[in-house]
Amino acid sequence: MVAFTVDQMRSLMDKVANVRNMSVIAHVDHGKSTLTDSLVQKAGIISAAKAGEARFMDTRKDEQERGITIKSTAISLFAEMSDTDVKDIKQKVDGNSFLVNLIDSPGHVDFSSEVTAALRITDGALVVVDTVEGVCVQTETVLRQALGERIKPVVCINKVDRALLELQVTKEDLYQSFSRTVESVNVIVSTYADEVLGDVQVYPSQGTVAFGSGLHGWAFTIRQFANRYAKKFGVDKNKMMEKLWGDSYFNPKTKKWTNKDTDADGKPLERAFNMFVLDPIFRLFAAIMNFKKDEIPVLLEKLEINLKADEKDLEGKALLKVVMKKFLPAADALMEMIVMHLPSPVTAQNYRAEQLYEGPSDDQFCQAIKKCDPTSDLMLYVSKMIPTSDKGRFYAFGRVFAGTVKSGQKVRIQGPNYVPGKKDDLFLKAVQRIVLMMGSRTEPIDDCPAGNIVGLVGIDQFLLKTGTLTTNEAAHNMKVMKFSVSPVVQVAVEVKNANDLPKLVEGLKRLSKSDPCVMTYISESGEHIVAGTGELHLEICLQDLENDHAAIPLKISPPVVAYRETVEGESSQVALSKSPNKHNRIYLKAEPIDEEVSLAIENGKINPRDDFKARARVMADDYGWDVTDARKIWCFGPDGNGPNLVIDQTKAVQYLNEIKDSVVAAFQWASKEGPIFGEQMRSVRVNILDVTLHADAIHRGGGQIIPTMRRATYAGFLLAEPRIQEPVFMVEIQCPEQAVGGIYSVLNKRRGQVVSEEQRPGTPLFTVKAHLPVNESFGFTGELRQATGGQAFPQMVFDHWSSLSSDPLDPETKAGQIVTAARKRHGMKEEVPGWQEYYDKL
Amino acid sequence: MSESGAGDATVAPVLSTVADDDVFVLQKYETLEKERLFYLGPRCKDDLSGSIDEYYALDEIAQQLKRHADWRKITLQFPDSLVHDSSLVTQLLQDKFRDDDRQFWVVADTAYSACCVDEVASEHVSADVVVHFGDACLNAVQTLPVVYSFGRPQLDLSHVVNRFKEQYEKDDKVCLMANAPYTRHIRALYDELKSEYPNLIYAQINKNLLEHNCTIVGHNSEADAQREPIFSLGNRVLLADDAVEPISSKPMDAGYHLFYINIPQDPHLLFLTTQFQSVKLYDPKNADISQGPFPSLMKRYKYMHIARTAGCIGILVNTLSLRNTKETINALIELIRSNDKKHYLFVVGKPNVAKLANFEPVDIWCVLGCGQGGIILDQYNEFYKPIITPYELTLALNEEVTWTGNWVVDFKQVLNDIGKQIEQSDTNADSNGGVDSDEDKPEFDLVTGKSVSTSRPLRQLRHLELEAADGSSNNDSSTSSSQGLTQRSTNGGVIIKGTVSTSAGYLQNRAWSGLGSDFQGQEDFDEDGATVEEGRSGIASKYESDLQKAKRS
Repeated sequence: MVAFTVDQMRSLMDKVANVRNMSVIAHVDHGKSTLTDSLVQKAGIISAAKAGEARFMDTRKDEQERGITIKSTAISLFAEMSDTDVKDIKQKVDGNSFLVNLIDSPGHVDFSSEVTAALRITDGALVVVDTVEGVCVQTETVLRQALGERIKPVVCINKVDRALLELQVTKEDLYQSFSRTVESVNVIVSTYADEVLGDVQVYPSQGTVAFGSGLHGWAFTIRQFANRYAKKFGVDKNKMMEKLWGDSYFNPKTKKWTNKDTDADGKPLERAFNMFVLDPIFRLFAAIMNFKKDEIPVLLEKLEINLKADEKDLEGKALLKVVMKKFLPAADALMEMIVMHLPSPVTAQNYRAEQLYEGPSDDQFCQAIKKCDPTSDLMLYVSKMIPTSDKGRFYAFGRVFAGTVKSGQKVRIQGPNYVPGKKDDLFLKAVQRIVLMMGSRTEPIDDCPAGNIVGLVGIDQFLLKTGTLTTNEAAHNMKVMKFSVSPVVQVAVEVKNANDLPKLVEGLKRLSKSDPCVMTYISESGEHIVAGTGELHLEICLQDLENDHAAIPLKISPPVVAYRETVEGESSQVALSKSPNKHNRIYLKAEPIDEEVSLAIENGKINPRDDFKARARVMADDYGWDVTDARKIWCFGPDGNGPNLVIDQTKAVQYLNEIKDSVVAAFQWASKEGPIFGEQMRSVRVNILDVTLHADAIHRGGGQIIPTMRRATYAGFLLAEPRIQEPVFMVEIQCPEQAVGGIYSVLNKRRGQVVSEEQRPGTPLFTVKAHLPVNESFGFTGELRQATGGQAFPQMVFDHWSSLSSDPLDPETKAGQIVTAARKRHGMKEEVPGWQEYYDKL
Repeated sequence: MSESGAGDATVAPVLSTVADDDVFVLQKYETLEKERLFYLGPRCKDDLSGSIDEYYALDEIAQQLKRHADWRKITLQFPDSLVHDSSLVTQLLQDKFRDDDRQFWVVADTAYSACCVDEVASEHVSADVVVHFGDACLNAVQTLPVVYSFGRPQLDLSHVVNRFKEQYEKDDKVCLMANAPYTRHIRALYDELKSEYPNLIYAQINKNLLEHNCTIVGHNSEADAQREPIFSLGNRVLLADDAVEPISSKPMDAGYHLFYINIPQDPHLLFLTTQFQSVKLYDPKNADISQGPFPSLMKRYKYMHIARTAGCIGILVNTLSLRNTKETINALIELIRSNDKKHYLFVVGKPNVAKLANFEPVDIWCVLGCGQGGIILDQYNEFYKPIITPYELTLALNEEVTWTGNWVVDFKQVLNDIGKQIEQSDTNADSNGGVDSDEDKPEFDLVTGKSVSTSRPLRQLRHLELEAADGSSNNDSSTSSSQGLTQRSTNGGVIIKGTVSTSAGYLQNRAWSGLGSDFQGQEDFDEDGATVEEGRSGIASKYESDLQKAKRS
């Protein structure tokens, strides 16, 4: 039942105005994959009967088993629109055939990085929200991410059948619940939306909100109902849409529309939405679920639903499913919403280009991206790697933003560290093959023009996770993605059998390629560390490593947490260190950086690669920095981009610029391994106050300056109220009222702090939000389940770094114990060296 | 300048060249009260020269020297810890040769490792013999005859026995060992403990290692020479009274623990920890047991991985007298080259943090030195770039990741391994032979979890050669651009005179590239430069400006 061929699709790819790239995003278990299945059904890949159960987009075995999505999966779909529908599309179109490139993303918070990777290469997002649960923590997170990437959202309120069947709500209750959900989505949208996008709030009356049930395969937008009634009432369709949502009532007696909920006699009127939209649905449900055999055919006829002979014999839920699917096919509603309201690449790239491209916005490449020009130089962003059936090899999955990529074409592969004009992280290679990703299958094509999503074969070895492909050597990189989650939970892995070591090494490499967010590295004490965003993420990664990437038995340590070292105050005195030859001196002070600035650096808002003047402007205007200081940032650290800064505050020091490279190198080193227990520094600002240098260049070389700057940094750090920071999760728990007590007791035991507790209106469900240190989160889910009789399930997502208030240098305190234990593990002396160790007397 | 408050610091500093005493303080020698009591025994308080005479067995040395009438020029080599005894020793020896015309030199502050014989220093005075004092590694030297005098330290045996009993169970398998000076007590300690600890063995110096022209004085172990050794471990042989099953592979595998008297130097300690199940150190200085932290082999594992993706390796020669040094250097160079990595060869005298940090382009150092004291272990993470041994480098440059858990410092074994590896890679290269288009793919760095493209800078060179060989390269359109690439290759290396120079590449990447370069970014930067003004005059120690300033004040 394949409704389209690859050739058909390929020809559609050229009509870029008729392409829609979109991702499906939502909180876990709100029904993304199921809803996506009904779309896939429309495109004709799987048989109609299976839609709703097949989870076509969950291609991995463990995804099917666990019933959650782990990896995002892409598929291209084909849609045909009627002429009237096409007329209503507000952007440029080219014929009636549309190509939708859809990416289904995981909803579990631990896999948010997959969502980020999906969002980068799409222009629109279908946000799925559960009618009963409403907007949850992950809904907010992904929506925020989408808006940050300038992605336009449309909403589908899912699982309406649950509200009807399980909760037995009234029509007005349901309307209120819908309207609340729409409102909460709009609150998030208006908070985080970029001005450039214009008004991207969603309005049911404009058809940007759909209601439906993925499981039963039905959904509708108000536009569809408006279509029906417009004919009947002889009213303009758009006016009808306005009337079918909000405070709009129809008086059947006077046949007049009003915005008051009572008629002239004070009798209550029924809301138009309830009367015209919900009423037929409620009646169908009531008739079918109450087995009113005689009523059903009348209703069906009225609604112009024709059942096949064998379908007429069904009853109850089975019949309901068939009837609803015929009455309001989900795919029709969603496809219509996607095609009509999500932007085409041409539309979207026009406003996204500046944000996607690292280089100046007026250069030819940025302009080409803006125009989505298939004839210009190639600009392609690879956002993730997808394993192929050939072990150890990957498809580079990405989007063509400008130009056309052809198989066999020689391209410049620019890794994230590439700087134009330099040769680091740059390779010249040929793309072997190009494929379309179709769920678990691929379809080869010859070339792919701008605006489309593709998989590339043969370049995976030159990129670790992401990168830019181009054909012109003047092109800058596309901007690197920033993830909202952070790999803060880590384990050490070890081979059980020493001979397997090479396999482990290869496995770790494959693992870090296959997941956008996982980190693998070797700790100070020589252990192989795998770091993930949460316990589930880590579990999946380790399972992949053990069964697939390395395929060897492993010893896995209990999870530990990554810490950071920071300062709370300004150095109590100027830190001074002399060079080994005593001829050079560095005077500096350390002080903390505001959390907002650190976050801005971590999120890439303040970027070391930006022009320093522009950056200084932003820091001064938005973060209250002194412009002179902001302009004199010597470096970010560690790795040249972390949230620690060196500021040059010296005045008229001779030869100062000559030692800049050495100071930068030393600070990278010092900020990577802090003095307390060798963890990375965070939010530390080092002000170099003065430098004394020997007059002869030979006596102020790197050998003299690097160790000195490191010592001075440590001394300044230890003089400035050093603290350690631990990662903290935001936990969101939904549960019935009686379980709340259990949640509190478990949270209390684990240093958790409740942020909010509220009842979701119209439901017996409570939502508890709390901060929980990651260190205390291991086994939290299990204990919570036990304490609440299995009624509470937490969603945990990294929220922030929190300083432990106690002094880490005192082994008696909580922080001190963590430090001592870690130092012992790393084979360091147990007590932290004092500042005197790094300080030189004048 | 005595206060360094924040207020002070904002004031423009004095020009660096002002030569006041404050700026050029030389490192004042800190006179440490040398503690002699713990090794010379209580007698040294009253009769210092007598106890020193006995401690170093000077009579025996004198006898030995007298036996060889042709040894006219004699160098006395002292480690830093004993150098305060050198004047007395020289004086006492000169007294013994009053009628004989012999010349004595003291060799101290040995550039490499004090446990080895410093042949080069001795050859400066064309010495005929070296008398080596203190702990020694007994590693073979190239030519000179050597007299070893370890010293005869005192030890409170009963105290050691008590501490030992606190540490071990009766049936534990324990090996007793000491550094060279304290080895004289080992046999006595063994006899004390033997009855209670049946599984005890002990270590003596392996005299079979000594060359014919080397002698040890003041150390009598004739009784042990007859015994059949259970195992030979570095410069020691393990012995026992009863017939103990010989150890086949490692004492660790046979379940032995080590009780060691004195604190060995880090490299040796690391070696010992790889050989025994556990190591306990008895420090005679404060008569206590020390249990670490010991140097960790797992840290070496990390360094080994760093070496795998390092592009530029600095070979640091930290010995001049050890046998096979040159051969090892040559073999290492060949191995590094065959891995397409760049190497530089360094001799820096006594290595320290500042000296090594001066060579910033070096990604990792490979130190050739004596296994007992000539290898830098960097316990406190002071060195800018990690330092590994030739053996570890050999492991790292193996195509397949390997880790044996051994700590091998013997050059001979390393030479063997390198030979094997080069042979293997040759056959591999032959079998691969063909065109591997992906051969310049980046490597995954396990240490940081990132991919690096700078790990094999010399690859570019091979490409150059290839291109030169077949002039009509059929790389179609990209020929011109790839030509551009090779001039400054993908890894930042620069090609100079047909070889890749990673250090030139590094210099090109520096932000500061010479005078005036720091002004280029400024708005008011003027290409033409400023007008020439008259600068300072005079000589470095007293510029005119300084003189005037001095006059004024």
